[in-house]
Amino acid sequence: MVINGVEIDDTFAEAFNMRGTRILITAQNLRWAYNAANAMTGFATSVIGCGVEAGIERELTADETPDGRPGLSVLMFAMGSKVLMQQLETRMGQCILTCPTAAAFAGIESEDMISLGKHLRFFGDGHQVSKQIPDASGKLKRYWRIPVMDGEFLTEETTGMVRAIGGGNFLVLGASQAQVLTACEAAIDAMRKLPNVIMPFPGGVVRSGSKVGSKYPKMFASTNDAFCPTLKGVVKSELDPRVESVMEIVVNGLTFEDIAISMKAGIEAACRLGKENGIFRVSAGNYGGKLGQHHFKLRPILSGEVTA
Amino acid sequence: MSHITLTAKAVARSVDCRTLLPQALQGKTVAEITAMKLAANLSVADVFEVSVDTTSEAPAVTFKNTTSAHQYIGFGMTSGQINVTGDAGDFLGAQLQNGVLICKGNAGARAGDRMRRGMLLIEGNAGDYCASDMMAGTLGVLGTTGAYLGYGMKRGTLLLANTPAAQATWIDCGFHTLPFLNILYKSFKRLDSRFAQVSSQRVQRWMGDMGGLGKAEILVIQP
Repeated sequence: MVINGVEIDDTFAEAFNMRGTRILITAQNLRWAYNAANAMTGFATSVIGCGVEAGIERELTADETPDGRPGLSVLMFAMGSKVLMQQLETRMGQCILTCPTAAAFAGIESEDMISLGKHLRFFGDGHQVSKQIPDASGKLKRYWRIPVMDGEFLTEETTGMVRAIGGGNFLVLGASQAQVLTACEAAIDAMRKLPNVIMPFPGGVVRSGSKVGSKYPKMFASTNDAFCPTLKGVVKSELDPRVESVMEIVVNGLTFEDIAISMKAGIEAACRLGKENGIFRVSAGNYGGKLGQHHFKLRPILSGEVTA
Repeated sequence: MSHITLTAKAVARSVDCRTLLPQALQGKTVAEITAMKLAANLSVADVFEVSVDTTSEAPAVTFKNTTSAHQYIGFGMTSGQINVTGDAGDFLGAQLQNGVLICKGNAGARAGDRMRRGMLLIEGNAGDYCASDMMAGTLGVLGTTGAYLGYGMKRGTLLLANTPAAQATWIDCGFHTLPFLNILYKSFKRLDSRFAQVSSQRVQRWMGDMGGLGKAEILVIQP
């Protein structure tokens, strides 16, 4: 399969079952909503070292938020419910509670409701106030008003936790670092327009793809040498002589379809730069298909065989 | 779901309306409701005209032509909505457990007494001991309030359009712009009530009743 001169490998991305949640963060204006959301989704690139993978899904207009202020929706993913709950509470306490004018609300409904402000309320030292207010559908929602130095911190008691998928990915292989990065930027711009997904790495792009295992016994993952351009000829390389740089985009989403659609949009945007701009190949990362529960096959996805 | 309309007949005595709750009247026919006893010698048929609309989306009861003689409207209500288009007597919404109670006229004494949850919205004036011993929930009054406002009130919000008389056991916490009011006002917008027009997030906050727990608040809406 070739798109605009770019070869699409006959391979698949291997992804895993995760637990996910969505939080709506509002503030006096978007500047402060971003300050809160950037803090909350900071140091959340990979579950390996950060506990969760998180990112800003999209901006919300004042009509879309519970309290009528501008805001952002944030998605957060973890390998298990316990870690997700723990990380959400920590990040709520250190990033949202602390941010001037910020408030947090549930962004997803589920049978599994996890604590958003339920335990954070004790910061109020007995002065916290609970309010149960019906939403647009008449369903009662519980909010906590916690007195803080800038006025009152408002948060919903719980948010929903859902089954989700993490680790959808593709690799962009090209002639130079600059050209591959430009293609990845185009891919990220296209993918950020889509709902229910986040790309958790810095700017959405990761340059240090890993393989399982290492020559050092204590390391359980190490550099993906088969895709490292400077090791061509030294190791069993996946790269042909033209390729000087490889970058990866990892995508987490609420459903298989969400991830497949965003991968398609991203790959198509990267391929739009084409062979003449130094983009030669698109591949994907997997572990032989034995570890992950979900396989995102590049060619069927790009043929439009997966739709929402 | 049924929307039951109870149109009051002129009465020379007080009427205890505590059994006429949305959840209690659900599924009942006009004949069944009119046969219900309000007191040993008083049935619904003696004091109300009854009509039932079974196409309603949510359980509701509307009282029409009521006066201060109609007491205990919404007493212990646990769900649904009650609309009172006229005045209401004493103990309006007392021991309210949940749901929404809107009174377009004036309410008697002890409105919202020992209320635990839900919303009681009085568009007219409230009598003495409004919100007495209230435990939680939201009680709004657009008119005036009487003596001993929030007497023994433990928790909950008393939202007022008019500044009440100062009381020794209620402490002025100053003027504030509270973000949660936006969410509360949004919930008012769904209601057929003058409360839907309230929009100011600027309030004067009082806390009390310091003679007891003291975790309740009076919010006086500022223009």
